[in-house]
Amino acid sequence: MGQVPDETSAKRGAAVIPNKKEAQLLSSSGIPIKEVYTPGDTTEIDYNKDIGLPGEPPYTRGVYRSMYRGQLWTIRRLSGFNTPEDSNKLYREEYELGQTGFAVAPDISTCVGMDCDDPRVSADVGHSGVPVCSIEDMETLLDGLPIERASTYLAEKHGILTAMYFAVAEKRGLDITQLRGTTANCMLAWTVLNLPNQVPPQAYLRYAVDFIEWCAEHAPKWYPISFDSYNTRDLGLNAWQELGILFATTVDYIEEEKRRGRVPLDRFVRRFSFNTAAHNDFFEEIAKLRAARRMWSRIVRERYGIEDPRCGQFRVHVQSSGSTHTTQEPYNNLVRIAYQVLAGVLGGAQSIHANGYDEGVCLPTDESMLLSIRTEQILQFETGVTNTIDPLGGSWYLENLTNELERRAWEYMQKIEDMGGMAKAIASGWVHNEYKNATIERATKTTSGEIPIIGVNRFRLEKEPYRVPFFRPDPQSPQRQIDKLRQLRERRDRAKVMQALKKLEEATRRGDNVMPATMEAVKAYATLGEIVNVQLSVYGEWPFPIYG
Amino acid sequence: MTDRKIRILMAKPGLEGHWVGLLVVSRALRDAGYEVIYGGNMTPEAIAAAAVQEDVEAVGLSILSANYLQLVPRTIEELRKRGKGDVPVLLGGIIFSEDLEQLKQMGVAGVFPSGTPLEDIVESVRQKVGQPA
Repeated sequence: MGQVPDETSAKRGAAVIPNKKEAQLLSSSGIPIKEVYTPGDTTEIDYNKDIGLPGEPPYTRGVYRSMYRGQLWTIRRLSGFNTPEDSNKLYREEYELGQTGFAVAPDISTCVGMDCDDPRVSADVGHSGVPVCSIEDMETLLDGLPIERASTYLAEKHGILTAMYFAVAEKRGLDITQLRGTTANCMLAWTVLNLPNQVPPQAYLRYAVDFIEWCAEHAPKWYPISFDSYNTRDLGLNAWQELGILFATTVDYIEEEKRRGRVPLDRFVRRFSFNTAAHNDFFEEIAKLRAARRMWSRIVRERYGIEDPRCGQFRVHVQSSGSTHTTQEPYNNLVRIAYQVLAGVLGGAQSIHANGYDEGVCLPTDESMLLSIRTEQILQFETGVTNTIDPLGGSWYLENLTNELERRAWEYMQKIEDMGGMAKAIASGWVHNEYKNATIERATKTTSGEIPIIGVNRFRLEKEPYRVPFFRPDPQSPQRQIDKLRQLRERRDRAKVMQALKKLEEATRRGDNVMPATMEAVKAYATLGEIVNVQLSVYGEWPFPIYG
Repeated sequence: MTDRKIRILMAKPGLEGHWVGLLVVSRALRDAGYEVIYGGNMTPEAIAAAAVQEDVEAVGLSILSANYLQLVPRTIEELRKRGKGDVPVLLGGIIFSEDLEQLKQMGVAGVFPSGTPLEDIVESVRQKVGQPA
């Protein structure tokens, strides 16, 4: 996303560096930071109630008792490119390198829910991810991958790709109840993007809740949702806004299930998982993850009275923040990524994606993919940072910062709840106005040099000092995808597809859980685009609420 | 020149959903005195049609998904088809340096890779499109 640097302020160099003695120092989210912290800054903390031990509510110090001593975080890189064939090869390589989970990034056409032979997407097939149009593509994508052992993360909307995934697993004779993985179908992550074919926020909520209900019964080891604030943060929301918006979203989902009453709330909530950004302000990001754990535990235990400890554990996947990467001097991003990942580790994340240093520019090259896996492995095996749990717990600064972030996040969350909840706040345009303001504010601060970016608005070089190899998608791959899909369309039993889609539409209109009908449709070789068209025929298309 | 403001259409051809760059540059141009028509994501055909309908003096495109070598010439072609081939087309986003020459040959009047200072963009628009009224 766009950094907006300013050459002249950079040339001024030291002149833009604030005089620290005069200026009040603020964290990246505007929290005043003192020169030094003392026990006086933590007097309001009750150790047992507010901090406690790892593995015990409110989980401030970590969701598990043994944390990384018991199990290291999962190295999970979201990836995919060109075609299912090429991406399958990539996933195999990543696994060979010691990556411990797969993560499927769909391409633009798949994100918008259009088949690759749709003329509207012709230039976008195979860009930014892998195209998956049908169960056939999913079979190719997973070919030879040990999905019975490794876990898979699917970034997708409405559970359609996961239905394909489950159907492939069934075909392989695997027991779906034993499969491990995550479906990232949070409305928060998707609605920030200006994509066509989006259903309204209320429909996002419906499909996701359907999916969570279905998994509670059929895929109990699967994480049916990953509440995802990564994109909102990358747009410019700050750390406490990120938490506020994230938890306001969770409450919407829980309230929807409470209204429906189909699944007991403890079972509904048990497999919730989360995805946040790891941004630049090192200590604030660590404090953010600690505050998030405490907030989630309090929502689950105090607000909803759910005692099951598995429910109140904030299990989080963290990704280094793409918006902090620069296209100038791309190797600088390696350093940024390493610090951000370290913040994720000291913050106790369960799974981490270290970006490729070139991800501000393109999909990662083989070398940059290797480097990001190595970044995590060096932390895991060489630095000793995993030796003790929550090593910064008890720091007066960090505990104070954790409290302050929590306080501000509750306020922001309350504001959203007062508007009727997250889906309504998105539908009304309020949330996008927040994004817009944050975006403009960041651009202004970057231009003024208030947000320093090394090599861009600070210490910028007149001449590009070096170039790095960039990845480009294979220009031939869209046509290969299109040809495959056309062949499938001819080969499949058209009447069976139509019947399955009709059943899906009826289930959607009746308010039934759509997952059984979705599973049936994908098994009949209905395509992603056809299923999305059913959704659009029922709900209509949601107009993206940013008009300039 | 009449008193009419200089009109610029700002749009993203294709479906890729990153809108921040488009919005930020649109704001900067508006602040500089241009009249910006913010199109958001549009097909190349729709961009060209809007350029005609709004009678714009420049078209700004933003692309972050590495498919600009397909989308930009398609947009320029659509503009030409509608007799609007003379308006300067400006491109921002993630653009590889080795493609700059090719883009120029395709008829792109100015390229602003991510990280270009906003004031440089505005200055370039002043030179290529004109001083706002």
